[in-house]
Amino acid sequence: MSGDPGFWILQTLNALQLSMLLFLLSVGLTVIFGLMHFVNLAHGALYALGAYVAATFAGMAGYWVGFFAAPVAVALFGILLYWGLIQRMRKSGPMAQVLVTFGLIFALWDLTRIIWGDIAVGIETPALLSGRISLLGVDYPAYRLFVIFLGGVVFAALAVILGRTQIGAMIRAGVDNDDMAACLGINVEKLFFAVFCVGCALAGLAGAVAAPLLSVTPGMGLDILIPTLIVIVIGGLGSLQGAIAGSLIFGFVQTFGAVLAPQISSVLIYALLALVLITKPAGLFPAKGA
Amino acid sequence: MFHHTPLRYGTLVVLLACALYAAFAAGYFGLEILIEILVLAMLVIAIDIVAGFGGMVSLCHGALLGVGAYAYAMLAVKAGVAAPVAMVASVGITGLLAWIIGAVCARTHGIYFIMATLAFGQMAYSYIFETPIFGGDDGLGGIPRLDLSPVGLDMMDSRTFALFALGALILCYLFAVSILRSGLGRSLVGVMQSEQRMRALGLVTWRVKADVFGLSGLIAGLAGAISAQHILYISPSLLNWTVSGEALVVVILGGLGTLVGPLVGAAAFVLLKHNISEYTPYWHLVTGLILIAVVMSRANGIFGFIEARLSARSEAKSEKTSNAQSNTATETNNA
Repeated sequence: MSGDPGFWILQTLNALQLSMLLFLLSVGLTVIFGLMHFVNLAHGALYALGAYVAATFAGMAGYWVGFFAAPVAVALFGILLYWGLIQRMRKSGPMAQVLVTFGLIFALWDLTRIIWGDIAVGIETPALLSGRISLLGVDYPAYRLFVIFLGGVVFAALAVILGRTQIGAMIRAGVDNDDMAACLGINVEKLFFAVFCVGCALAGLAGAVAAPLLSVTPGMGLDILIPTLIVIVIGGLGSLQGAIAGSLIFGFVQTFGAVLAPQISSVLIYALLALVLITKPAGLFPAKGA
Repeated sequence: MFHHTPLRYGTLVVLLACALYAAFAAGYFGLEILIEILVLAMLVIAIDIVAGFGGMVSLCHGALLGVGAYAYAMLAVKAGVAAPVAMVASVGITGLLAWIIGAVCARTHGIYFIMATLAFGQMAYSYIFETPIFGGDDGLGGIPRLDLSPVGLDMMDSRTFALFALGALILCYLFAVSILRSGLGRSLVGVMQSEQRMRALGLVTWRVKADVFGLSGLIAGLAGAISAQHILYISPSLLNWTVSGEALVVVILGGLGTLVGPLVGAAAFVLLKHNISEYTPYWHLVTGLILIAVVMSRANGIFGFIEARLSARSEAKSEKTSNAQSNTATETNNA
C-alpha cells in the first residue's frame, strides 16, 4: 500500500486537516501564553463550548449561522471570563493559573452537561461542502479540504497582521518584553484583552469546524487539550511559527504513525515531546522574550 | 524544611482517631470510602513532597499510581509471583520509573515542567491502553490481596484491609517526614528557593530533584499496589492525567507544603464527592467552583488558611505583650 502515490496523498491530506484544526486552537493559546504568560488550560473547554453553540444554531438555522455564531459567542464568554477571573489571576504564578483554569474546566464541563445533556450531538456538513472532490487522483471529502483551506487562510491572515501591521509589531513587542513595551506607550493591558478575545474566538471557530468531523460531546474539550499543549510545547511558546510548526509535526506524526507503525503510534508523539523538552527545553521556535 | 507544630500534631491525632473510629464503627460502604480516602491520602503525600517542598508540580503521579497498580497486577496475576514479592517489586519499579522521569524533567521549569510530566504520564497511559498484554480497555481482574491468614488475619474482610491500608499510610507519612528531614530534603527546599545558588554551592541540582522524585514515586507505587488490591480490578483510566489533576486539586484544597493539610484535603474531597453526588450528578461543577474560590482567596488551602490565621494571632498577641511591656517601661521612666 505504501508504494501507491494515492495513499501518500490521502494520508498527507488527513495529516494536514488534523494539523489545521490544532493550529486554530493552539495559536490563540500560544499568543495569550506568550504575551501575558497566562496559562489558560480552559482553552479546550472554550472549544467545546464553540462546538455546542455551532451545533445549536446549525440545528435551528443551518450550518453557516452556527459557523459564524460560535466564534462570536465564545468571544463574548471570553470577555466575561476575563473580567471575572483572568484579570485577577494575571500576576499570580503559573501554578495558581493552572489550578484556577483547571477548576474552570471542571465547572464548564458540567455546565455543558447540564445545558446540552450527556448524549453526543451530531451536526451535518453544509450542503455546499458535503460532496467529494477529486484531487491528484484521490477522492477527498470537500469539507475536510475546507478545513485545510480555512487553517491556511487563518495562518496567512495572522502572519500578515503579526508581521506587517503596527498592531502586530505591538504584540510582538509585548511578547518580547512587556515592561519595555509599556514604557514605549503601548497599552499592554488593552492589547492583551484584544488578543485574548481573538484567541477565544479562534477556539470557538475551531469548535464549529470540528463539530461535523467529530461528534460534539462534553468531554471533547478535555480530549483536545493534551494535543494542543503538546503542539505549543513542541513549537515553542508565543510564536506563530511555533504554533504552525508544532501543529504540522503533531498532525503528520500522529497520522503517519497510525498507518505506518500502529504498535507504537500512540507513544510516538509523547516520546517526541520528551525528546524536544530534553534537547530544547523552550521548544523549537520560542518567541524571543519567552 | 518540615516542622511538626502543635497544630500539626493535633490534626494528625484527630485524623488518626477519626480513621480508627471509622474503621471499627463503619459499615461495608463506609469502609470502602475510608479505603478510598487512605489510598488518595498516600498519593497526595507523594505529590506534596515534590510540589510543596520541591516546587515541581507533577501531573504524572496519577500515572505512577497506575503503574504501581499494573506492575502488581501483572506480577501477581500473569507471572504468578507471590503477593508480598509482587508488592515490593511493584513499588520498586514505580520508584525507578519516577526517578527516570524526574531526571529527564529536572532541566525544565515552571509550566514546561508541568507539561513534561504530563507527557510522561500520558505516555504511560497510552502504552498500557494500547498494549494487548495489559488487557487494554477491559483492564485486568482477579487480582489477589496479600494473604495474611498465617497470622490469623483475613484480608478479604473490609475492616482488616482498611486497617492494613491505614498502616501503609502511616508508614508513607513517616517515610515522607524522614525524607524531608534528611539532607536530601533540605537540599530540595534550597533548590526550590534558588536553584542557581544551590548549584553555585556545588550541588548537582538535577540529582536532588530526580532522587526526591524517585522516592515520592515509591509512595505512589505503594498507593497503586494497595489500590489494585482494594478494587481487585484495574483499568487504564487509573492512569489518565485527570487523576493526577484531581490529586493536585486535593493537595491545593488541603494546603500545599504542609504534608498534614493534604491528608485533610483527601478526607474532605472524598467525603464531599460522595455527599454531593448523592444530590446531584454534577459534583465536578461544585469541586471546580470550590477550587477556583480557594485559589483566588490566596489562602494556602483549608489547613494552610487555619495555620496562617493561628500563627498571625499568636504573633499579634506576643507583639501586644511586648508593646505593653515597653509602655510600662516608658511610664516608669517618666515617673
